[in-house]
Amino acid sequence: MTKAIEILGLTKLYSNGRGMKDLNLTIHEGEIFGFLGPNGSGKTTAMKMMAGLVKPDSGEVRIFGASVQQDYVQAMKQVGCMIESAESYPYLTANDNLKLFARYYPLVDRRRIDECLEITGMLNYKHEKVRKFSLGMKQRLGLAAAILSRPRVLILDEPLNGLDVEGMLDLRRLIKQLAEMEGTTFFISSHLIHDVELTCNRIGVVYGGRLVNEGYTQNILSDYASLEHYFVSEVERHGRV
Amino acid sequence: MVGFKAAFQNELFKLVKRKKMNAAAILAILAVVIGQVAVSAVKHGFGLRLVGGTEFPLVVLSAFSYTLLPLFAAFVAIDMFNGEYSSNTMKLTLTRPVSRFGVFSAKVSAIASFIAVNLAFVMVLSLTAGLIFNPTSSGWLGVARVFLSYAVTFVPVFVFILLVVLLANLVRGGLSVFFLSVLLFVAFTFLGILVPASSSFLVTSMFDWHTLWIAEKLSGFKIVRQGLIMGGLGVMLFTAGYMLFDRKDI
Repeated sequence: MTKAIEILGLTKLYSNGRGMKDLNLTIHEGEIFGFLGPNGSGKTTAMKMMAGLVKPDSGEVRIFGASVQQDYVQAMKQVGCMIESAESYPYLTANDNLKLFARYYPLVDRRRIDECLEITGMLNYKHEKVRKFSLGMKQRLGLAAAILSRPRVLILDEPLNGLDVEGMLDLRRLIKQLAEMEGTTFFISSHLIHDVELTCNRIGVVYGGRLVNEGYTQNILSDYASLEHYFVSEVERHGRV
Repeated sequence: MVGFKAAFQNELFKLVKRKKMNAAAILAILAVVIGQVAVSAVKHGFGLRLVGGTEFPLVVLSAFSYTLLPLFAAFVAIDMFNGEYSSNTMKLTLTRPVSRFGVFSAKVSAIASFIAVNLAFVMVLSLTAGLIFNPTSSGWLGVARVFLSYAVTFVPVFVFILLVVLLANLVRGGLSVFFLSVLLFVAFTFLGILVPASSSFLVTSMFDWHTLWIAEKLSGFKIVRQGLIMGGLGVMLFTAGYMLFDRKDI
């Protein structure tokens, strides 16, 4: 299996002691990796380092062999991401926002922009300014921006935030479809354990800035009644009740 | 430079869409109109001819380069950096296949374009007003002097804005950067007056650089010296600004 994401000894410690320590992980092409952890456990820090937004104290992230730290442009050609919150330029329309991002990818044309808006259910709001959008609509637009370039790796931080039930179902379907049909690799963090259980085929639990355990969802569910039980057990085992 | 073209086009697009250009244009028109009305009032009221057709744009330039132009360019620079940091939109550009140097250069180039377009707009406007109201005192040489003055004024204003860009990457809040920039501008201006020896190294003292270029007796040595000082300052400020931008955690 091809290694899509390789994380080698990734460390970033902030002055308050929080951050991520010595994260090592290999994710293969087509896997949907769920990154679970309590608030402040270092999930977003890890994802920001993977997207090149934060420079690690040590360690490296490789996307299909290209180092995010050494060869950023080459690595990011394969990546689509939505980190922390789905931001977009509020004074531009949904279409203009995507047009800006499309300029970085020679193969993305007007038809692909419409296709992404259609997939995320935003085509009807194409010419509306983002400042008028609800949180869920902004989230959908953020997803459209993330999948615009047909990336081989998608890094999504809390992608279900603000989405209604229909939106959650659509997104889950989209993730599975992209992973199965196009072999897209996903790295997803979410607080919604049930949704992670239904969507991800591999889970990693992070606690106190360390990856405490990881495994395939199928194997975990053969030992635990649900992913929630597994998560609680892992967190308890590492010092938090 | 990979991604520079796309980043530059995007910065210009955002600049136009945010209507900063429109606001700058409206204020520039107002400044030229008020200037022309004042000149015409003195001419008709007291019978004094203050400026000729191609001298009016030079008067406007002296006022414009010390007030509206650096002010608006500073607004644009602060908006491009602090504005995007605070609204969390900087990551939208930085997570695309473009290097940080490409993004920084694109932003600085967009600010440079803003300054150049503003100068060109005010030049055309003031030249037109000057030629309409004082047509007899015009000539091609005068027009060439105006063009040269506006063109060379770009350099000191751009170098000053590089200082604002540096501050924008050093200080978190946009408002703090704005007040710090105004404070430095005023301090440099007064220091240049109070301690003339220091003016050789203060970019604000070079805002009237164009007067050297259009003087009756051209002083090549002074022009080259000031040009080299501004060039050196520009390179240092650009490099320092980029270093801070590159190291920033978003």
